[in-house]
Amino acid sequence: MKRFARNLCAAAAALLWSTAGGQAAEDGGTLIMLVQPEPPTLASYLSTSGPIGQVTTKVYEGLLEYDFDLQPQPGLAKSWDISEDGKTITFKLQEGVTFHDGTPFNSADVAFSIGTVLKEVHPRGANTFKELESIETPDDYTVVFHLSNPAPYLIRGLSGYETPILSKESFEGTDFRDNPTANKPIGTGPFKFVEWKKGQYVRLDKNENYWKEGLPHLDRVVARFIPDASTRTAAIEKGEVQFAAFNAIPNVDAQRLDDMDGISVTTEGYTMINPLTLLEVNTTVAPFDKKEVRQAISYAIDRQFIIDNIFFGYGKPAVGAVVSAFDSVGLYSSDVRDYGVADRLDKANALLDEAGLKRDGDGTRLEMTLDVLPYGESWQRIGEYIKQALAELGIKVTIRYEDVPTWLKRTYTDYAFELNLNFFYQLSDPVIGVHRQYLTREIRKGTVFVNGAQYSNPEADALMDSAATEPDPKKRSVTYAKLQKLLAEEVPVIPLVEMDFITVYRDELKDAVVSPLGVYASFDKAWLAK
Amino acid sequence: MKRLRYILRRIVQAIPVVLAIVVMNFLLLQLAEGDAVDVLAGEAGSATPEYIAQLRERFGLDQPVHVQLVRYVTNILSLDLGYSFRQEMQVSELILMRLGPTLLLMITTLVIAVGFGALLGILAARGLNTWRDNLISVFALVSYATPLFWIGLMFVVVFSIKLDLLPASGMESIGAFYEGWDRVLDIAVHLILPATTLSLFYLAAYTRLMRASILEQAGMDYVTTARAKGLTERAITYRHILRNALLPVVTVAGVQMGGLLGGSVIVESVFGWPGLGLLAYDALFSRDLNLLLGIFFVSACLVVAVNLFVDILYTFLDPRIEVG
Repeated sequence: MKRFARNLCAAAAALLWSTAGGQAAEDGGTLIMLVQPEPPTLASYLSTSGPIGQVTTKVYEGLLEYDFDLQPQPGLAKSWDISEDGKTITFKLQEGVTFHDGTPFNSADVAFSIGTVLKEVHPRGANTFKELESIETPDDYTVVFHLSNPAPYLIRGLSGYETPILSKESFEGTDFRDNPTANKPIGTGPFKFVEWKKGQYVRLDKNENYWKEGLPHLDRVVARFIPDASTRTAAIEKGEVQFAAFNAIPNVDAQRLDDMDGISVTTEGYTMINPLTLLEVNTTVAPFDKKEVRQAISYAIDRQFIIDNIFFGYGKPAVGAVVSAFDSVGLYSSDVRDYGVADRLDKANALLDEAGLKRDGDGTRLEMTLDVLPYGESWQRIGEYIKQALAELGIKVTIRYEDVPTWLKRTYTDYAFELNLNFFYQLSDPVIGVHRQYLTREIRKGTVFVNGAQYSNPEADALMDSAATEPDPKKRSVTYAKLQKLLAEEVPVIPLVEMDFITVYRDELKDAVVSPLGVYASFDKAWLAK
Repeated sequence: MKRLRYILRRIVQAIPVVLAIVVMNFLLLQLAEGDAVDVLAGEAGSATPEYIAQLRERFGLDQPVHVQLVRYVTNILSLDLGYSFRQEMQVSELILMRLGPTLLLMITTLVIAVGFGALLGILAARGLNTWRDNLISVFALVSYATPLFWIGLMFVVVFSIKLDLLPASGMESIGAFYEGWDRVLDIAVHLILPATTLSLFYLAAYTRLMRASILEQAGMDYVTTARAKGLTERAITYRHILRNALLPVVTVAGVQMGGLLGGSVIVESVFGWPGLGLLAYDALFSRDLNLLLGIFFVSACLVVAVNLFVDILYTFLDPRIEVG
């Protein structure tokens, strides 16, 4: 119970701080945010497609919110307690909360949302709640998770983005995949869904009965969709919109806008997303089954060059399989093979010689194809850079650029690739974001964004399995350090750049990015200066 | 009566044509690699194989192609366009939502393009080989040769960012939620830039066509006759030549109307105009076949209807042409 009390204290302190600091917030106004691309649906319980969450997190809330150190804060749960063995988590819920349709919120909604809907239909639900054996609801405002093994990552996966709490009444007895709320969400959040004009905007109005006293400040949030990047830039320049996250305003325009009066750019608010640019290597085809070849490729690439010349200075060279944002929770280690050393090209050449790939008359050791993820021009530029970098080692690269469905099928169903440029979200914990890319059981033909490299190593599997169920943070750190060292030797996946997504906003908008979730938070504290 | 019978006959004739289009589109789209489930699962970031299998079953994608085809054609015959699983909406509802903005943009564009194009064509032909003719020809050539997206973006930069006269994008002022006449005015203001951009492109063709057509008609015997009976040049041009010269323009406009109905992906995307073109574009890249086929179907029907309308229009422009 000690931890319980400490959480309460932390919560009270956070509350005090947030009301005391900064300017006094003004009420009223309409925030227009750019969301790119237009979401296919608003069913965040069914799809984790990026743009969906940008809209639905204003409507649906989670049990917890998070501070910038990734530590949990009260949300729909006002307190939580993890038992000593890590196998029981008890949540006390906020009282007097109602859904937008007027039905009261209680423990049955939580048990139903997580145990019945999300565990079954959420794309990451089966992994996040793998250890969740049962949910007990002793009274209306208490929820108890019983886990079969400790799941230390679970406490970081309960945000309104990752685990939205739904109303039992609108879901019970329906087909969850075909629920009317897919396009008309009903949650407990600070904003209520009003209408969706496809191709134009989604309109959310202030929830007058919001349970947080005095919030939200805004009268309305409108998510606008503009397909053309230059027009999006023009719209924020002109003030037609005030906020654009997830590179909706491309990096190429960011610097110019940042220099303008009245517009700012930030890279904050993505540390629970943690995108990592990487190369997946097909470890089942020669010569890429040799780790020397994979290491040589890793040595050949100058990460800083990509950041400076293609990402316009945004990003950080990746060191290992786990991104450095996890340093704050002790899961990151920099004690791994350093691919950025000064004599990296000599090392790479030596490794290729060792692997038996000799240069022929033209100086060519090997011809291969690089697949590039079809998400736009920056990726093509990186592909072109890699082609050049590998040419220096005598590896002749052909670049292949297809459309999304074709590329997904090639990489994760047919495995018909050699080297694949891609990026992965590492999300809120390595168990959720990293393991899927390395575990042997994550070689799942037809499932996208898992172990496409088809890497299989019992040693790595054992390390990951023990890290997933280790309740002691110190022991967990040690296990992850070992794993990162091992993966940096084996490099089935070559980490390139810890990407920085950028958020561009007009200065009259205050307190929009207040947590590591950034645009995936509820905007309850956001306000517009007049 | 005769005209009505003619219309009915044309409609009956059109049915097999439209059906053939549907079947052909369906088979062509099967050639594309990957399906809607690949895209959905891809966007989801990480999905279990069970989830993917469930999706395929739900979308009917686990059935062999011929079964899917028969099912689709049967639905079309009962005018059921199906369901877009990606957007969780009826295809017909999605298309109807977008049809209005598309028609508004396209009809405005066509009116401006044909109207101004014809006018410029007349002016050019009447002042053949003078500075006026040259100026108009150069203007037509330049506007035809300049990429649409560039013109669009330059308009945005000049008229909305620099001069701050017109909105940069969208069909309405988002966030204002105007009602009644305010809304009509608001939409009209938003319409100016996209309609002008798109018109500039088509205008060139009509200008050239009208000029050539007038010059051709000007050499006809009936013009000599009219001149012999002492009519003024102005009367000859506007009363006699113009009506005849318009026929090819109307024909081309009819054909182009069909193309325009599909929407213009470029203009829609530059100006954020919520039209059919973008919907089709998105549908293609998300392999939302039901939606894509639905759009093709509606476009095919509209093309058939417009062609019929043009044929009827001929009989009014030139009473010598008869239906039958």
